[in-house]
Amino acid sequence: MENRMLKDENDRVDGVFKVTGKAKYFAEYELPGLTYGVLVTSTITKGKITTLDTKAAEKAPGVISVLSHLNKPSAPGYEQDGGSPMKIFYTDKIFYNGQPIAMVVANTFERATYAASLVKATYAKEEFNTNFDKAVADSKSKKLQGQPDYKRGVENAYKTAEVKIEEKYHLPIETHNPMELHGIIADWRPNNQLTVYAKTQGVKATQGTIANVFKIPVENIQVNSEFVGGGFGMALRTWPVEIATVMASKHIGKPVKLVITRMQMFTMVGNRPAAIQTIGLGANKDGKLTGITHRAFGETSVYENFTEGVVNMAKFMYQCDNVNTQYTVVPVDLGVPIWMRGPGEATGAFALESAIDEMAHALDMDPLEFRIKNDPERDQQRSLPFSDKNIKEAYRVGAQKIGWNERKNKPGSLIDGQLKTGYGVSIGVFNANRGRASVKGILKADGSLVLQSATSDIGPGTGTGMTLIASKLMKIPADKITFELGDSSLPPAPSQGGSATLSTVGSAVNDVCVALKSTIAELAANSNMDATANFVDVLKKNNLPSIEIMKQSQAGKEREAYSMYSFSIHFVKVKVHSLTGVVKVDKIVSVGDSGTIVSPKTARSQMVGGAVGGVGMALTEESIIDHRYGRYINNNFADYHVPVNADIPEIEVHFINKPDPYINPMGAKGMGEIALIGFSAAVANAVFNATGKRIRSLPITPDKILADS
Amino acid sequence: MINFQYLRTTTSKSALALLSKDKAAKFLAGGTNLIDLMKRGVTTPEKLIDINHVPLKQIELKGDTIIIGALASNTAVAEHALIKEKLPLLANALNAGASAQLRNVATVGGNMMQRTRCGYFYDTEMPCNKRQPGSGCGAIGGFNRMHAIFGTSEKCIAVHPSDMCVALIALDATVVLANQKGERKILFKDFHRLAGDTPQLDNNLKTDEMIIRLEIPINNLAKNSHYLKVRDRASYAFALVSVAAALEISDHKITDVRLAMGGVAHKPWRLTASENFLKGKEASTANFELAAKLAMTDAKGFGENDFKLQMAPNSIIEALTLAKSKA
Amino acid sequence: MQSSDPKNNQGDSRRDFLKKSSLITAIALTPSVALKAAESQADERFAELFEKIPLNLTVNNKAYQTSVEPRVTLLDYLREELHLTGTKKGCDHGQCGACTVHVDGERVNSCLSLAVMNEGKKVTTIEGLANGDELHPMQAAFIKHDGFQCGYCTPGQIMSAVACVNEGHTTSRSEISEYMSGNICRCGAYPNIVDAIIEVSKGETKA
Repeated sequence: MENRMLKDENDRVDGVFKVTGKAKYFAEYELPGLTYGVLVTSTITKGKITTLDTKAAEKAPGVISVLSHLNKPSAPGYEQDGGSPMKIFYTDKIFYNGQPIAMVVANTFERATYAASLVKATYAKEEFNTNFDKAVADSKSKKLQGQPDYKRGVENAYKTAEVKIEEKYHLPIETHNPMELHGIIADWRPNNQLTVYAKTQGVKATQGTIANVFKIPVENIQVNSEFVGGGFGMALRTWPVEIATVMASKHIGKPVKLVITRMQMFTMVGNRPAAIQTIGLGANKDGKLTGITHRAFGETSVYENFTEGVVNMAKFMYQCDNVNTQYTVVPVDLGVPIWMRGPGEATGAFALESAIDEMAHALDMDPLEFRIKNDPERDQQRSLPFSDKNIKEAYRVGAQKIGWNERKNKPGSLIDGQLKTGYGVSIGVFNANRGRASVKGILKADGSLVLQSATSDIGPGTGTGMTLIASKLMKIPADKITFELGDSSLPPAPSQGGSATLSTVGSAVNDVCVALKSTIAELAANSNMDATANFVDVLKKNNLPSIEIMKQSQAGKEREAYSMYSFSIHFVKVKVHSLTGVVKVDKIVSVGDSGTIVSPKTARSQMVGGAVGGVGMALTEESIIDHRYGRYINNNFADYHVPVNADIPEIEVHFINKPDPYINPMGAKGMGEIALIGFSAAVANAVFNATGKRIRSLPITPDKILADS
Repeated sequence: MINFQYLRTTTSKSALALLSKDKAAKFLAGGTNLIDLMKRGVTTPEKLIDINHVPLKQIELKGDTIIIGALASNTAVAEHALIKEKLPLLANALNAGASAQLRNVATVGGNMMQRTRCGYFYDTEMPCNKRQPGSGCGAIGGFNRMHAIFGTSEKCIAVHPSDMCVALIALDATVVLANQKGERKILFKDFHRLAGDTPQLDNNLKTDEMIIRLEIPINNLAKNSHYLKVRDRASYAFALVSVAAALEISDHKITDVRLAMGGVAHKPWRLTASENFLKGKEASTANFELAAKLAMTDAKGFGENDFKLQMAPNSIIEALTLAKSKA
Repeated sequence: MQSSDPKNNQGDSRRDFLKKSSLITAIALTPSVALKAAESQADERFAELFEKIPLNLTVNNKAYQTSVEPRVTLLDYLREELHLTGTKKGCDHGQCGACTVHVDGERVNSCLSLAVMNEGKKVTTIEGLANGDELHPMQAAFIKHDGFQCGYCTPGQIMSAVACVNEGHTTSRSEISEYMSGNICRCGAYPNIVDAIIEVSKGETKA
């Protein structure tokens, strides 16, 4: 993309595109002869399709084709045995309510939508269960190990501790709900050449998945995804409906666009799985933890397994010699979940960080003091030193900014009329990942630098961060640097997930810049120029319009010597209304301890965004199913409550901003997950401090505050 | 959505004439609810009569009565100086509903015709007696957290979703309706219906009629009024419960009082017994508590909405307290 | 997702319906070519024409004279017909504000407005806000305060924000927040959006 009238080098490089409407998201590409796909979905939860009547739809004005298992459009990868059982349009089996069973393709969106309403299916129904709580409680239901059991020291040591707590925590299903609806444009052309415009967190992953299903070489597939309207994890895989759209384009020989509905966003593109967790904590009377037990059940689907890191944090976050964890997944008849921001760690942190607060209360200690007292010096799980950890400083800074000294340790102490004020704190932690990526740098004699990598930007500001890394190293102004991404033909990079992009791709940018500089220095030396000569002069002197270098970069042995994590501390002040039960978050302070801050403006926004997501997780978000029918009942933006502007107070963000000496050349660690992880517990802890009510089931809606009061 | 026929008209007379030719046709005003319902397949009219150009947008004082045309937008009413001064309760209720964008388009008449937000009503694959008489009520025994506690029937426990209507019932509004033969007046409290055995009928508007205007008598309640909306997020959400409270106080005694609730019944719910109790009494917390208790006499929960049995009286107390404190 | 309405079927009944429907009321809204066809026993191709009605609309100061099916929303008309894709579809049900545009100067959700309801009106979309290369102050303020991340809700936020300032609902942070609550931002840029609006309402941002 071109530059952009930057007023401040820290502004987003694509800001002008986004504020003028020029940023093109997948559904906005004009292709000659574009057609529109609309899905027909199952109205039962489990069973088989017995008949599917598509005649009326086929005859409706503008309809080009109706695809379903009846005509099985060609997908050679689906014709092989094994693999994923969710082979769209290759099965008559129904695994969940709302499963796509047909796609109507027509020449306008309105016609396709109307014709889809004419497709009639009948089913052979089978008994089903969409109720996760029931599946967990039922001894006969299927349960699978989600992660190997972990034990350090004595198992369940908390049970014999001087002070102990044991509590159960519930999380409902949450739905990612990025603002952009999911979908894809597929354009299958003669000779098996395919171009797709995708909503994806990984163009290379999308390319690979499609190649695998359609058995064509990856080189034949061009994936474009320059702008992505949010993902939060749901675009980390290529969903069956995307495959279906490619099938449709191949079948009719025209480009097909699919944009699913907001209702469909709840069923067919993943969710944060529901979880039931039990935490046992033991401590001595001095406030030292002596036992941590974390047992979790997570939701998965019957047709595909999903696991995540729900119990990871308990293993290393607190100094404790006796720790054991267990993580079990339990299938229900719903669509398969997928990582949602903070993923399993955010689920686990709600339970663990609530329990830590409960233990501090049981000990009559300030929860901040209790945390500091149990802050680990080393990673006991990996038996390694931390590469970089400044939690105590972060606690101090955040406490000062939120006004922690105003807090009373006795719950319900701060009352003004009907409003009760409370303060809460929690910690978030996530593995500081670094993968392998390649970046090409093209340094031009006109003074500009182009960097290319097949990474993505779902919102955090990837291009901005990369530009700032290069700008600093190359001493080139940000507006002379262009970072190209979201294109599968660029040098390979991993999907954007797990807070790894800045660390992974940024390292490759670093390495390319270092290589470019040394090449320029060599050229300068060879042409008898000063070693500090400007690269433009060096290139001109050598009659070179540009030089081009590609570098692959990945982590080395440092990861065997150090335990690497990003940390966040969340402080929340709430006001709870005694009569209505409404919780208002009054102030938020989030402190990030994630190494060097490369891009201060976008980094701050990411922390702010995580806090907003955390408010939703804590107070408003829950995807509700009527288990009699297996159907979502609040599958829209009016009834599934994503926080609105009025829910959010001013948010203060502070960064420790010290380089991690080992992680990567920038000393920078990821932040996307820690911005959210733990946040919901800070709210729950603040609500407890305000009211004396411990809510262990999210979201904390007004009815739960009023219960038993 | 079927490609319905679209007609446009500029007078109420021609609108009614068009309607009389085809009772299955529907009037299209702001469309913020109707188009939503059509997209979901909940309603499938084959003909829409666009009445947005019919001149029924007046907001004016005539004698002791405030006249509001049926096609005045929610924003136009809420922002009108006359309404802010004389009927702040109505302005506040309007501003508590929907979003600025929706209020710019949504009309007074359309707001009255707004259908329930019940999830079973909206999902054409679920049972709902309101959408499909005889199919059953999904909410009874299902997800009924948002549902009614007053005046429920075995057929339907949906709630009326409007905030505006809660204020209007409290303000003793009158609705003027018309058919081809002429106009008739109906008290606002008689406009909406309880579900009873005919939950498919939200109100008493006849199939050949249109809403023309509202007539609201001016009152002395402007100073001490409050619209309290309790909801799951701070804005842009339907009410768990809402309370319209207005007091006229002289010498610490309540000389006039209006109390109505939203989110608790199939229609805006006027708390007449509580009003009668409060009249002539001191505007004290103790009396507010007694009035709130009285309001709950016939309340009944359905499981997930049992919390409303507590939230509703609490909210009545809070709304009365806030109304009083505006003095 | 299936319609339970038996009338709601397909082409044949559709044409019957058209024949039966009141021609008189349809005349004013129907292209003359379609009327002629209707008189001489319309075939399907003409029936298609019949189903579209004329639309005169000004978008970003450019006049458009087209015909459109009544069921096409203003949002889909802008995106799919005029290729003005800056206006976004986030929910298609008036629940998120991503599709916010100005109609005759007021902010509305274009997903809940039929294109034909806007006959003769002036529509402004995000593409019509800047003055050539010069950003509108609100656009500049959104960049300065980083009032977005993924950018998808941004055009709607900005159109709404401009209206919020014009309406005068900017006396406090909480008033701005309330009047901006019809625009959902899943990335969570709300505080930055409020900062941008405060700056513009104080007239501090120059484009």
